[in-house]
Amino acid sequence: MSDIEQPAGELWGREGFREDPYVTAETLEEAGDAPAVILPLVAWLGLTEEIRNASNRKIGVLVAPGESIEPLLPLLDSIPVIALQFPAFNDGRSYSKAELIKNQHHFKGELRAVGDVLIDQVAYMLRTGFDTMKVNHAVTLNRLAGHNLHDVPGYYQPGRGSHTVSGTYSWRRVPGA
Amino acid sequence: MYRYDEFDHAFVSARVEQFKDQVERRLSGELTEEQFRPLRLMNGVYLQLHAYMLRVAVPYGTLSSRQMHKLAHIARHYDRGYGHFTTRQNIQYNWPALKDIPAVLDELASVEMHALQTSGNCIRNVTADHFAGAAADEVGDPRPYAEILRQWSSMHPEFSYLPRKFKIAVTGADRDRAAIQVHDIGLHLKKNEAGELGFAVYVGGGQGRTPMVAKKIRDFLPVEDLLTYTTAIVRVYNLSGRRDNKYKARIKILVHETGTEEITRQIEAEWQAIKETDLKLPQQDVDAIDTYFAPPNLVQRPEGWSGLAAARKADHAFSAWVDQNVTPHKNPDYGVVTISLKPIGGIPGDATDAQMDLVADIAEKFSYDEIRVSHEQNLVLPHVAIADLRIVYDLLLTDGLATANAGLITDIISCPGLDYCALATARSIPVAQRISERFGNPERQADIGELKLKISGCINACGHHHVGHIGILGVEKKGEELYQISLGGSGDEICTIGDITGRGFSSEEIVDAIETIVDRYLEIRTDKEETFLATYRRVGAAPFKDALYSEVANAA
Ligand code: HEM
Ligand code: SF4
Repeated sequence: MSDIEQPAGELWGREGFREDPYVTAETLEEAGDAPAVILPLVAWLGLTEEIRNASNRKIGVLVAPGESIEPLLPLLDSIPVIALQFPAFNDGRSYSKAELIKNQHHFKGELRAVGDVLIDQVAYMLRTGFDTMKVNHAVTLNRLAGHNLHDVPGYYQPGRGSHTVSGTYSWRRVPGA
Repeated sequence: MYRYDEFDHAFVSARVEQFKDQVERRLSGELTEEQFRPLRLMNGVYLQLHAYMLRVAVPYGTLSSRQMHKLAHIARHYDRGYGHFTTRQNIQYNWPALKDIPAVLDELASVEMHALQTSGNCIRNVTADHFAGAAADEVGDPRPYAEILRQWSSMHPEFSYLPRKFKIAVTGADRDRAAIQVHDIGLHLKKNEAGELGFAVYVGGGQGRTPMVAKKIRDFLPVEDLLTYTTAIVRVYNLSGRRDNKYKARIKILVHETGTEEITRQIEAEWQAIKETDLKLPQQDVDAIDTYFAPPNLVQRPEGWSGLAAARKADHAFSAWVDQNVTPHKNPDYGVVTISLKPIGGIPGDATDAQMDLVADIAEKFSYDEIRVSHEQNLVLPHVAIADLRIVYDLLLTDGLATANAGLITDIISCPGLDYCALATARSIPVAQRISERFGNPERQADIGELKLKISGCINACGHHHVGHIGILGVEKKGEELYQISLGGSGDEICTIGDITGRGFSSEEIVDAIETIVDRYLEIRTDKEETFLATYRRVGAAPFKDALYSEVANAA
């Protein structure tokens, strides 16, 4: 295996790796004066509207697969980042949540995948609406660093980052903006 | 039938290239078996008791001669000269070497086939009525819709990590030959009063350790809504299906625990939100897929009937085969031929490379190049002229493919069981073979009439035992194989789960026990027209239990 060129824990997006401006904390107090924080859903929902919308600080929310996104839906405009958790690679609930958040409810902020992500899943995540991923899987990091996404040349479903092709069926897409 | 276009070819070859890379990494030790597991499963490669097993998808059970020749070639060159046709209309190879599997996938891709989504918690190979496009009683051909679903579900980004596997079946006739009510989604293609095509939608059927008959959640879904509605169902399932216990993870449990009314409400609400999106099917696309399945241009062959009568008179065995294995075709000059893969005493569903080649040759000459795999583990020639039946029969006879037992007691469905399967708790193939031998006499079978006997080697129910008129489940008790019998199951349009008779029988006793049940049926049926299932539905379990638990106990 070649060396991982980026340190684990970096944030990855279509443009490659970058610094993660956010710190993850259990509570706002724990985060100290960090300018960008991600809090668990329950803690986030416990914040006052005033704190959530404070201009000097970005406060994002972390959602576990078993937690409902329902309470967030009316508040999407005030959320800078939603991080959906993948504690195990085979728990696929967050894909449907991504679809709902981005495509049905038009979330404009950053949608992030966090956790156990296999390289074969990255392309799926981008297509369901994730913008970034914070991955702990060594092989995945390695492959991402090598820009090897394990993608296919065509998709049989509509999705983000793809466009229609003329002369074929309405459900088909090819990669590209 | 459907033909790949460039888009499909590029897609499948990309997947094969990826898998080649993964196999190389496994063989070189870069990937451990554990890391390799999810990757190989995505390509239909299982690890069984003795070897890797490759499961190849036969979408909605339709094959061309060229494809069948390729399956024969693979059996000959990469396996031990045979393959096993399954109740999921697929074919399994039991002995491929891992290093050869990428080459096998290349071979398959060359005839527009693959092994994708034949395992894993994704939407599996979509199944359909094996008489589709030929049966006299059909409202519409279900395969274009199965093909649209196949495409749409291929590497679906949202639905590749569902709580559990997900199976969709489609039928196009009132007579359900695809067992749609024991699938996660069952679609029944029908016409409304205005004569438009649409689907009755069933959700939450399944077998396994908690068998359930699906619930009808919509009586008529217009064709254009096929993908949006299916998306709504699978999304609700993906979000809410149980993930804490793999035995409770199928959609049937979600439907059961949530209640049909509430789950229908959730599905309909989700559907309302996505009904008008990109997935709404334009009629021109449906039509374009439909043309691939246009019926072949059948030549008028009215001369068949007179010749047939004479041929039947001259040869009793041929006549019995026509009675049993030929079903009415839409075109009266033609018949639908079932090729039994259940020779007396044989392994249900197995076919040798030579047999596959023979079937391919016959199909090319006499069935407009079409073959079907049935969920009853048989093959079907969908378009055979009545005038050609005799010659087709003679050809089939040359390699043991003319057993006249379709739908009879020896047309047994059996899972691989302990002979191959790592999950098995008992053998099933040898039990099937012994029952087949016991009832092998053609007159006796014909006298017994329609009787579906199905055997599984463990509670996963791959052998459909829950919906067997007689079902046999092999379990292990204190180190011994024990066989539980259930009666009265049925996988057709009046779908029922069989009732367990009582304590199980040992491997020695089981065949006698089946005979006891059959004898009791023969005693109490009103006449020969009353099938086993009809009799059971009339009298219930009691007479059979009496017979089983007094006589066998006395005899033992
Ligand atoms: C030999 C390797 C096999 C393994 C490891 C295997 C595994 C399983 C498991 C675990 C289930 C239970 C799923 C559940 O209840 O959630 C199942 C069900 C089923 N399998 Fe298999 N199976 C094998 C072979 C086969 C074969 C050969 C067939 C076709 C003849 C088949 C067709 C089915 C069917 C029809 C069901 C029940 C329907 C349902 O999904 O509810 N399987 N299998
Ligand atoms: S029913 Fe059990 S023994 Fe038979 S194939 Fe399925 S998992 Fe294996």
